[in-house]
Amino acid sequence: MTTSPVRLLDNATATDPQKKTGNTGTRRRGKSLGLHILLAAVSLYFLLPMWWLIVAGTKSTQGLFAGTGGPLWFDRNFALFDNIAQLATYNNGIYLRWLGNSFLYAIAGGVGATILAVLAGYAFAKYRFRGRAVSFMILLASVMVPATALVIPTYVLFNNLGLTNTIWAVILPSLLSPFGVYLMRVYVQDAIPDELLDAARVDGSGELRTFATIALPLMRPAVVTVLLLSVVGGWNNYFLPLAMISDPTLLPVTVGLNAWQVQSNSATANSLIWNLVTSGSLISVIPLIIAFLMLQKYWQGGLSVGSLK
Amino acid sequence: MTKKKALLAAGITTALAVTLIGCTGNSGGGGGGGAGASKTNCTNEIKVQDVPVVTYWGWFEDTAQTVDNFNESHDDVQICWTNAGQGADAYTKLSTSLQSKSGAPDIVQVEYDWLNSFLIQGGLVDMTEHGINEYKDKFTAGAWRDVSSGDGVYAVPVDLGPVGMWYRQDIFEKHGIKIPTTWDEYAAAAEQLSKATGGETLIGNFAPNGQGQHYALLDQAGAVPFKFDNGNPTEISINHSDEASKKVYEYWLDLVDRGLVGTDQAWTPEFNTGLGGGRYATAIYPAWYSIHIPAFQDGDADAVWRAAPIPQWDAAKPKQVNWGGSTLAVTTQADDAALATKVAAELYAPEENKKLGVEVGGLFLAYPEMIESEYFQERPYEFYGGQKLNKDVFGKAAIDYEGVTFSPFTQYYYDESQRLLSEAIAGNVSATEATDQLQKSLETYATEQGFTLK
Amino acid sequence: MSITPQLQKPAQPPVATKRGATLERKHARIGWVFLAPFAIVFLVFLVLPLVYAFWMSLHTNTLAAGEKFAGLANYFAAFKDQRFLSGMARVGAFALVFVPLQIGLALLFALILDEVKTRLSRFSRLLIFAPYAIPGVIGALMWGFLYSPSFGPLVSFFDFLNVQAPDMLSRDSIFWSLTNIVTWQWTGYYMIIIYASLQSIDSSIYEAALIDGASKLQTALQIKVPIIASSLVLTIVFALIGTLQFFTEPQVLAPLAGNAIDAAYTPNLYAYNLAFSYQQFNYASAISFALGLMVFLASIIFLVTTRKKSGLR
Repeated sequence: MTTSPVRLLDNATATDPQKKTGNTGTRRRGKSLGLHILLAAVSLYFLLPMWWLIVAGTKSTQGLFAGTGGPLWFDRNFALFDNIAQLATYNNGIYLRWLGNSFLYAIAGGVGATILAVLAGYAFAKYRFRGRAVSFMILLASVMVPATALVIPTYVLFNNLGLTNTIWAVILPSLLSPFGVYLMRVYVQDAIPDELLDAARVDGSGELRTFATIALPLMRPAVVTVLLLSVVGGWNNYFLPLAMISDPTLLPVTVGLNAWQVQSNSATANSLIWNLVTSGSLISVIPLIIAFLMLQKYWQGGLSVGSLK
Repeated sequence: MTKKKALLAAGITTALAVTLIGCTGNSGGGGGGGAGASKTNCTNEIKVQDVPVVTYWGWFEDTAQTVDNFNESHDDVQICWTNAGQGADAYTKLSTSLQSKSGAPDIVQVEYDWLNSFLIQGGLVDMTEHGINEYKDKFTAGAWRDVSSGDGVYAVPVDLGPVGMWYRQDIFEKHGIKIPTTWDEYAAAAEQLSKATGGETLIGNFAPNGQGQHYALLDQAGAVPFKFDNGNPTEISINHSDEASKKVYEYWLDLVDRGLVGTDQAWTPEFNTGLGGGRYATAIYPAWYSIHIPAFQDGDADAVWRAAPIPQWDAAKPKQVNWGGSTLAVTTQADDAALATKVAAELYAPEENKKLGVEVGGLFLAYPEMIESEYFQERPYEFYGGQKLNKDVFGKAAIDYEGVTFSPFTQYYYDESQRLLSEAIAGNVSATEATDQLQKSLETYATEQGFTLK
Repeated sequence: MSITPQLQKPAQPPVATKRGATLERKHARIGWVFLAPFAIVFLVFLVLPLVYAFWMSLHTNTLAAGEKFAGLANYFAAFKDQRFLSGMARVGAFALVFVPLQIGLALLFALILDEVKTRLSRFSRLLIFAPYAIPGVIGALMWGFLYSPSFGPLVSFFDFLNVQAPDMLSRDSIFWSLTNIVTWQWTGYYMIIIYASLQSIDSSIYEAALIDGASKLQTALQIKVPIIASSLVLTIVFALIGTLQFFTEPQVLAPLAGNAIDAAYTPNLYAYNLAFSYQQFNYASAISFALGLMVFLASIIFLVTTRKKSGLR
């Protein structure tokens, strides 16, 4: 973060309008107060559904529909722990299985895609091999191909190979991340000077070693960003597993929860598991939220990589 | 320092991923290729080892206990049961598995209206080849007709959905309204009720996605929307805009226009809370709805629900109809179709399992012997004030039901019907226009699908 | 992969150019080695499915009469298929609303956050971004509850204002209900991209302007926005691609709003239903392929017309 003295001054004004009692302060304060109110309102809008989810996750099915606190406040009956216990046991604890599947699909697909993107991005940025220009143009074009257009033909292909309804049907297609390659290429080009690599070569370092010891560490912000983007993509994926998987024990949590919603709509006394839909949703979003909070530093910087030159 | 860390991190994540992949691959969760529905992921426990196992997707509420009973009493075959979901999504899954030639179970619970759609995909075994005809007399005529097509029989009936009218006795009494026995009386009661409550309470709901119900109503009015016979599977007759069909849609859309019935989507919390909270005074629903209504009572604890026979077009010539109920079909992916057929036919044969179906599953079994038994006829239903629902309403409806023919492309039919009814409810097209457009759309689709129209 | 021997030769000035040439050739090979894993995945999971989709789309397979070659018949059918066309028109309309709305708000929030640096603003930044971490399915399920006319908070809110609450799941309002969900879900993501580029602007660039008496607003619009134009173009392309593929939210809400969302509500939903509900894989492939082609063309056209600004290489 490059902050100029001027900006720092602004920051002071903004942080604590009380302190600045000077002559020019009033107008600025007014403006920044307005911006703050706007920000507060905007934050409220983005928070509201998440707040609802937190509250709903603690309710029993009865509390959801006829709770004492209304939709946006806790019910008298705080059922979060009952819900968790029921989640762990309902249908032989299939929810935990779904969570595990989501982790597997997101991490295996995300890590795989990142490794491929790192290697390919490095190749595009640092090697002048034959066909590079054309390959890169094809790559750029492929960023524009909607992923979902691929799902149906991939499904039919996998089907012919007997791969549908297996974990590979979800993991293998997730390895494709043209945008990751693009991000890597742009980043490597700017962040790793050719001279550095040449110096290593002159010192007798082999190409793979140069890559592993010199280039890779420098690529870290981009690696984390691409990894995070692909893991989130995998975790949130819905269309691909929806199409590929029919065995309930192989579903990721997104598809599983939607199936529970459908089941609850069928509405016999035993199939009403709205409490599991809401508490299951709540628990399933926690890992990613934590990951984002912990890795803030990386993704906030990394995301600008692809767009700025 | 940093590069070591980075490499280490990369190494760990890769190792983690590999381990995770390894884990799932080994734990046998179907990870080892498309070898049919997995036999290791049963919801139930297999009681006897080293005998043939038949996989079964089902969602009856009694299935867990019924399957356990079956497994305990058989040492030559065991059932491995999974609840693979229900409704359109579950049928999509089944259909996908059938198309994939892998992943489908041996036995699957299918509602009557979907059987033709799966058998035309070549997904269901003709059970007559495995001796099913000897069971024919055990089932009602209507149920048997619904699982037959041409000379083939493609499923074993389990339960039926004889349709009645569930109604709020307290609301009817409070406003002094007589229980309607004909559709004319029903419309009159609708008007009376709406007036008396200022539109707060409506007589019922016409769901744009209630195709199962609509098909029963069409049948009652004498419409025969589809003629299809697996003996001659490329021919179909579609007759969805005749007088009888128009009469039914006009009747309901007129009630909609006058604001006398609701238009909530069926199977949504919206409709369910509406029904539970006193917005609706009747529900034209089948016997199996008995276990649904009590689930909605959060909104109105004093509600008094009872059942009456379905209103008729002509009280002198009553016609009983059916909506829903399920069958057990054997898929063409079954390892041993003869064995699977036998298991499907005998799952509900023991008295004990029939009673589980009735008492736990809330099922209205398709066995006349059961329907006419004293146990069943005299059975009081506590939530309904001890009313003998089967004797009063549903028993006769089930025995009198004659059967219908369903479309061989149910999903498309239901989607189109829902789309056009939504248009009609929104006032964009009239009832007649909706039926005409539906007819045309179905004809076009059937032709595109290679059928010859008769 | 034994490249070391040649490289280990100490550099000798006279052969410098020659060595350069060998390195070039080596690079050629090594470059492909690095690229190979991705290239294989690219061929297998992108090129092959596309080719296969195209091949499938040239055939028909019917319920009653089996499979046969049909040439471009599926495409002619698609472009006469009222349901496909109205779905296309609908996602077109969504794109016209979603893209400016999301990017506009994202830009606005990013500029504000770039300007105001307080605890509240940092907190807001996280809150606005957080929905990105929530899977689309769960977002749609949540909003489905929130929209519910009989027990969602909207009803209480409108009751409080003494206004008849709108039915957010009706035919009239579903367009805006979906717009709201998508805006909630994605604005933060685009905002972070734009914000990150704003952060990397060297502030000396606009210090001068500030000293010259330009207002904050002028600085923002005339200096900051042009500098980050390339991120804007990128986010717009993402938003455009995402919108034209619209699927998850309508699919999840369809059971609740069946009178408003039909099986062909968006082309992608239509393709899914054709394939998996109606078993028309061939026609579905044609729809998918046609949709993919249109998304591709739309993005390319957009990129070409904004080429100067985007600087995409």
